[in-house]
Amino acid sequence: MTDRTTDGEDTSNPSLVLSYWYNLDRGWQALYLGLLITIIVLIIQFTNLY
Amino acid sequence: MTISNVMRTQVPGLALLSIGALIAYLISGAVDSLQPLVVSVILGFVIGNLFGIPDIAGPGVNSHKLFLETGIVLLGAAVAIGELISAGPTVLGLIVLTVGGGVLLLEGLARGLFRIDNEMSSLLAAGASICGVSAVVAIGRVLDARGATLTFAAATILIFDAITLVVFPIAGEWLNLSARQFGVWAGVSMFSTGPVAAAGFSHSPEAGQWATVTKLARNSLLGGVAVAYSVVYTTKSRGNVGVSKLWKEFPKFLLGFVLVAVIANSGLLSTTAISLLNQISDVLFALAFVGLGLSIRVREMRRVGSAPIIVVLLHLLVVSVLTLLIIQITL
Repeated sequence: MTDRTTDGEDTSNPSLVLSYWYNLDRGWQALYLGLLITIIVLIIQFTNLY
Repeated sequence: MTISNVMRTQVPGLALLSIGALIAYLISGAVDSLQPLVVSVILGFVIGNLFGIPDIAGPGVNSHKLFLETGIVLLGAAVAIGELISAGPTVLGLIVLTVGGGVLLLEGLARGLFRIDNEMSSLLAAGASICGVSAVVAIGRVLDARGATLTFAAATILIFDAITLVVFPIAGEWLNLSARQFGVWAGVSMFSTGPVAAAGFSHSPEAGQWATVTKLARNSLLGGVAVAYSVVYTTKSRGNVGVSKLWKEFPKFLLGFVLVAVIANSGLLSTTAISLLNQISDVLFALAFVGLGLSIRVREMRRVGSAPIIVVLLHLLVVSVLTLLIIQITL
């Protein structure tokens, strides 16, 4: 069954990741985002990409 | 929540923030002594007050708070525990004294004498006592301060950054301070890291090194002061709260700040990587400051008045004179 909002948008297949993200407290979002950036910088450092 | 939904709601606002930050970087790159953060907030302020925020851009612009908090998490990479230890016990004692005493002095003056509201007092106390605008932003997020308060506090600190950058080197010359004395004095009295280093190196390379080491050591106390503010404000607003309540209200991004500081000081990150994290943090702050500027209205600024400037001036005079006396006796 397909769920549609009043303006016709299909909402039957929401992204689980996005739903999880938007339900998080902003402090946790910032913590995860900051750590993700740090890990990416670490990977860049160890692979000599920068 | 679908990807197309997120794209439609977030992208216009994010594009507005990005274009604002890009223009701010271009302008500050072209004009010496203009900081990107100042230009970002002014640009946002002008656009917001002249044209308002288009409805379509609202949700994206609102994400500036997330950029602020993420920028603070990455600020942890600038914490230098090694510098803190290498500063030596006398300088360390002076740093703890100026940060602790400075916060209490400014809070006391602002709330007791000038009847400035609690949020503004705390932001000014953090900015003047720890590390300038970064501390204002960090404590502002901890207290969930209003945009206008945050911007006015940051602007006040930036005004004093400009003044002290000129006055301190002249005073150092006039007082005939040694390189170490001047460097430590600038490191414990001035506000933001950039102007402290600039003032130190304008005296001599040795003074520049002392100023930078002292200032970085002082910046390292930001996490502790932020946690203390979080606990004090939560306890005050909710009465006698338990640990679980404190944890619920605790700004979790501070944990990220501590984690990144631990990673940066563990030796895992190279100097280049730390510098890259600092640059990313600056970009996030620039995006966030465009958003802050966009959300401030002129009428809110008018309510603040000139009292914060007078309070910070008094604080600066007391702290710089007292630390100068202690430095001349002990160093």
